[in-house]
Amino acid sequence: MDTISQQVERAAAAIQAHGHPRPRVGIILGTGLSDFAHEIESLLELPYDEIPGFVAPTAPTHRGLLILGRIAGVPIVAMAGRCHGYEGHSAAQIAFPVRVLCELGVKTMIISNACGGMNPDYRVGDLMLVEDQINFTFASPLVGMIDESTGPHFTDMSAPFDRELLDRAAAIARREDFVAHRGVYVGVLGPNYETRAEYRMFRRLGTDAVGMSTVHEVIAARQCGLCVLALSVVTNECRPEALSGAKSSEVEHVATTAAPKVRAIIRGIVAGL
Amino acid sequence: MLHLYDQIEAAAAAIRGQWPGGKPRVGIILGTGIGPLAEKIEVEASIDYAAIPHFLKPTATGHKGRLVCGKLNGASVMAMEGRFHAYEGYPLDAITLPVRVMKALGCELLIVTNACGGMNPNFACGDIMVIDDHINLMGSNPLVGINDDRLGPRFPDMARPYDPELIDRAQAIARREDFPAHKGVFVAVQGPNLETRAEYRFLRLIGADAVGMSTVPEVLVAVHAGLRILGLSIVTDVCFPDALKPVDVAEIIATANEAEPKLRKIILGILADFAT
Repeated sequence: MDTISQQVERAAAAIQAHGHPRPRVGIILGTGLSDFAHEIESLLELPYDEIPGFVAPTAPTHRGLLILGRIAGVPIVAMAGRCHGYEGHSAAQIAFPVRVLCELGVKTMIISNACGGMNPDYRVGDLMLVEDQINFTFASPLVGMIDESTGPHFTDMSAPFDRELLDRAAAIARREDFVAHRGVYVGVLGPNYETRAEYRMFRRLGTDAVGMSTVHEVIAARQCGLCVLALSVVTNECRPEALSGAKSSEVEHVATTAAPKVRAIIRGIVAGL
Repeated sequence: MLHLYDQIEAAAAAIRGQWPGGKPRVGIILGTGIGPLAEKIEVEASIDYAAIPHFLKPTATGHKGRLVCGKLNGASVMAMEGRFHAYEGYPLDAITLPVRVMKALGCELLIVTNACGGMNPNFACGDIMVIDDHINLMGSNPLVGINDDRLGPRFPDMARPYDPELIDRAQAIARREDFPAHKGVFVAVQGPNLETRAEYRFLRLIGADAVGMSTVPEVLVAVHAGLRILGLSIVTDVCFPDALKPVDVAEIIATANEAEPKLRKIILGILADFAT
């Protein structure tokens, strides 16, 4: 069996064979952002099934395309669609594309997602800039990667989210006049939404928003030494004392409605690089 | 999850074959020490799990491995004498298959029971806890995998997994019968070891009143399948971290057996509303 580095190299080679310039920024487009391709110039779309080691997503609104192109002149690579633990994928599989993006030359990762806002200050449609994370998925993409060919096995997580990018994202939100909180994201396996008792637990643990993605990608990105910015769209408010049922159609609707805010930040960050 | 549909059909067909004309409205899962309730059923069919395709073989102490079908207090029920646990090494989708089979056979309500460790200092050994809510701390989930939309939604809502009306009814029965039935939060862990003192403190800190190694997988699947749910726990040992005594499994089973009549009263009272 191939080592992870060999698998990464093979996937990167398959992408590079199309002859696009080396991307500097990698972007993961979460729920509701699948139309982001319109922002990207001179694009090339590669279905995941043409890239060895990539798996096609089954989650709603996740397309399963790798998009190469430019934003504000900066070469980027964007993932339209990701895979999740609740689809039955391992943490290592979820994190694999991040390693490939790093191999392609990416130095900065911008990761977006849809989340449930538990902090009572958060409103549906607000953005949260992820200031820190708690991995509550009971899995890590680094398990077993003892050969360290992709980075340190004991990856430092003292500050996984780049402070300068956080400040710049907050500045863009102020300039564009929309709310962007800074908060702690807790990543869970899913696929069910949380019970009231679980929301209370997560508040006590010090988290502001909960979602079913991102944490494994962040861990792998840090192992690869990438700068990371993560953006969460608050698609539903999780108030344990007055919880109304969450509907995934509403989540997708809100995520789509709030997408321009995420786009503004991505565009602003990339343009400033 | 795409493999489940055919398994459910096969298991349901086997049960229908052994229980012709059976139209269950309530599925019951009998936890540790709660087996005696099955003796009260006017049995129309008693089926060994071994005779039902895709049903597992229970290995846990005090779990028999038999599906008892018939009338209980006028309601048509199918009761699992013996359940499966993650700590037996079984995958969660196989553990929870019987719940999906209950749904396929027409059940509207799942009554799920267990033996639990009471962490809330107001709980005493032998008390009943009516499960108000749960925390899944098992590190896994039976709904993982490609969703089969025929069985339920991709992202089931968990705002109220346990039916509030039935919780109230259960507590009213306990008041009338004059025994304590607390409402509380159940946290499910994988086990099989019992918790350390530090773990009990942690579980209290995150808001749990009782801890056990079952129930949550079945409840997640029951919500996914659209069943109403009543969850009942017998507090078989009290877990106070600052005065913790070693656990004796024989004692746990004895306590569950002693408290079983209380649980039975609640279940029979609830079933009266489901009489056919």
